[in-house]
Amino acid sequence: MATTRVTSPPTSSDRSPGSWRTIELLTAAVIGVVFGLVYWAYSSSYTALPGLKAISGPFVGLINGPWLIAGVVAGLVVRRVGAAFFAEVLAAVVSTLLGTEWGWATVISGVVQGAGAELAFAIFLFRRFTWPVAALSGALAAVGGFCYEWFTWLPGLDLEYKLGYLGAFVLSGIVVAGLGGWALTAALARTGAIDALPAGREAAHRNAV
Amino acid sequence: MARLPDEDSLVRSHPRSTLDNVPSEGRAASAANDVPSGIGPLALLGACLLPVLGAFAIHAAHVGLWGVGAELLALGWLARDPRGSLKLLAFGILAAISIAVSTYLYGGRHLDESAAAALRIMYIVLPSALLTPVIRPAELGDHLAQRLHLPARPVVAAVVALQRIDSIGEQWRQVQQARRARGLGLDGGVARRFKGSASTAFAVLVVAMRHTGSTAVAMDARGFGAATARTWAGPAPWRWGDSLVLCLGIGLALLPWLM
Repeated sequence: MATTRVTSPPTSSDRSPGSWRTIELLTAAVIGVVFGLVYWAYSSSYTALPGLKAISGPFVGLINGPWLIAGVVAGLVVRRVGAAFFAEVLAAVVSTLLGTEWGWATVISGVVQGAGAELAFAIFLFRRFTWPVAALSGALAAVGGFCYEWFTWLPGLDLEYKLGYLGAFVLSGIVVAGLGGWALTAALARTGAIDALPAGREAAHRNAV
Repeated sequence: MARLPDEDSLVRSHPRSTLDNVPSEGRAASAANDVPSGIGPLALLGACLLPVLGAFAIHAAHVGLWGVGAELLALGWLARDPRGSLKLLAFGILAAISIAVSTYLYGGRHLDESAAAALRIMYIVLPSALLTPVIRPAELGDHLAQRLHLPARPVVAAVVALQRIDSIGEQWRQVQQARRARGLGLDGGVARRFKGSASTAFAVLVVAMRHTGSTAVAMDARGFGAATARTWAGPAPWRWGDSLVLCLGIGLALLPWLM
């Protein structure tokens, strides 16, 4: 019986998670730009519903999840310190340059949401990239966004509204950005498009017979 | 030594030019109307962002009204693209109305407080509506790295990816044409449209990711990864006009707190 050597998938511990290869930088940047376009397209449809937004009460937080997805996906795909933050901020910059209703304040949202998304990966020392981590990343991104909106959008509203809004925001962050981002990353890995990155190689290794 | 060929000419084109639903007249206008002489992107960015700090202090309608008026006076002369600015402003006004209505409905039905909420948003949005059309993304990258000394590699990677916007937009159209040809067009209800856009976005993301491999190799072959000295597409001077605009931004950040 012959034996073949199977190379084990490289783990993040192979080198420090703070060191970036060029392809990782570019991947995070491209994720940022593509989602910047998506954010911009989403914000156009979002703007078309001001009346609905105004009367839907705290449930309006439910439509916030898509804004958080770039950070989660970049964190899962690139697995480097700062990947989630970088992609979320860049996506915000791109959508601002294309034109959103909030102007450059969008980038402030990007910074606080990206920091929240990043924090989840940091808690696990950039070693775990499973769906619960992704869900936590989406949730913390929502909390980050909420902290900023507390001072800009929410003053003057009742506390119950604010808490309900936080709950809806976090729920949307978990489901759309966290679990949705995790599913998106898995789908990306299946296409082979991210084979040069650990997330893609791990998937290729799992599917190898 | 990480200078990329044609970086300058490529990035100079405003990313907005790529998107089919942005009218091309807007593009021509923003290209023809040059950036106000002597004012770089960092100062303009500062003038957009600093007023957000002032917005935190707007809790009464009269403060907001004076503030928005001051913003128009302080920054209006810098605007160069009335069409683009008006469009952004219209979005901002919709956002402001929406927040005013929810503040009225869910905040104890105080008229003054609701108006203040709307004006707080206007105070945040107005500078961006006036100035975003005159900020050039390419110069922004140069200035962020050379003036603010943000880490060079992420900045260059971001600029490279920004250049990709043109081809990503083209890719988007091609995927949609292919889908239409296969009978998976964008007609139908909201859910089908959403699903169609999502699968288009996924296809575009896959294509963009496949490109990054070769771009990364090309960049590393030019020493991007291991550079010790780095060249940039353009210089990033700071002129007196920049200082003036930055001071205006600081003034707008302070104004509502002083009223």
